[in-house]
Amino acid sequence: MTEPMHEVREFILGRNPRLGQLPDELDLIDSRAINSLAFVEFIFLLEELTGEPIDPEEVDLDDFRTLNAIQARFFQQKAA
Amino acid sequence: MAVREIEPVVLDLDRLEQMAESGYYNPYTIFEWPDSMEPDKPWMSESLTTLAGTEMWDELTREQQLALTRYEAINFFSLNIHGIRELLSDVVMRIHEKTYAGVSEFLHHFIGEENEHMWFFAQFCLRYGGKLYPAQPTLKADSVAHLSPVARELVVFARILIFEEIVDYYNAHMATDQSLPHIAREINRVHHQDESRHVAFGRMVFTNLLEQVAERDPDEVPVLAEYLENYLQYSIATLYNPAAYRDAGIPDALKLRRRALSHPVRVEAHDQVLKRTRKFLSKAGVGREIVK
Repeated sequence: MTEPMHEVREFILGRNPRLGQLPDELDLIDSRAINSLAFVEFIFLLEELTGEPIDPEEVDLDDFRTLNAIQARFFQQKAA
Repeated sequence: MAVREIEPVVLDLDRLEQMAESGYYNPYTIFEWPDSMEPDKPWMSESLTTLAGTEMWDELTREQQLALTRYEAINFFSLNIHGIRELLSDVVMRIHEKTYAGVSEFLHHFIGEENEHMWFFAQFCLRYGGKLYPAQPTLKADSVAHLSPVARELVVFARILIFEEIVDYYNAHMATDQSLPHIAREINRVHHQDESRHVAFGRMVFTNLLEQVAERDPDEVPVLAEYLENYLQYSIATLYNPAAYRDAGIPDALKLRRRALSHPVRVEAHDQVLKRTRKFLSKAGVGREIVK
């Protein structure tokens, strides 16, 4: 796992201690691991980790649905 | 709409309606808008900025400090505007529904006054700041879908109430802060005056709907308490806008925001802002102490 994805995972687990574990394909939206109240903080975290601003109008809900989707959308190029 | 499943909200609002009528003013003529602001004055009370009381504030140049008060004032008023947009759309969709038929008279005052507040906040931002900050990004998913219809209804009014109570803490302080330009003080004063009625109304609606939730399913009350505590924290965090730090010429905005939000002095300041609301929630039986 890349370092930024480790931080993403820590962020989600930190806010959802009851989850215990976080499978890569868990639906983060349906499970409410990321809800509307955590979303702003999550966007800021991703901006800090990628070093680039994120235009919320440009992103799709599915970009945040699983850890795999987040990796693919925000960190694929950096990880390669 | 799920409102049909909610019992009618019946409240005695005569006094609040009379106050709204007797205190009515013309917002479009009541203010004297100067062409520009005095260059050496803060636009927001320095003690209310998001870096107040920390070494991060002390490390800024005086120019940066003043710039931060200006951009955080624009952020504060922008948050008011976006908050009003959200609450207006919620209330407009409910007025004259059966559940709210008994309180529709007051809701007309409420909608009218909120629209006027939105106007003067926008005037301030556009005249002196040249812009509004955009609304915070939102997740286009229903994060309260797990709640019952009446609990979801409560959340709508709880969000309005919490937003108004937090804003009022700032308004009440700035209404008498002599270091601010006159127009900034006046906007805060007038808003504080109207909001006292809205907060009183909001608490009554909240209490009514909470009773309905507890009657139908007491186990849902701790779930609501958790949501409300998270909403309090979320609302405080919206005051920390990295765009305002950048505009004030402060580097590493995101890192600074993270540091500031968790700084012990700031955590203490947040507790002060939220004290009144937390006390109300606890007294109503839905405080953070019951979260499981």
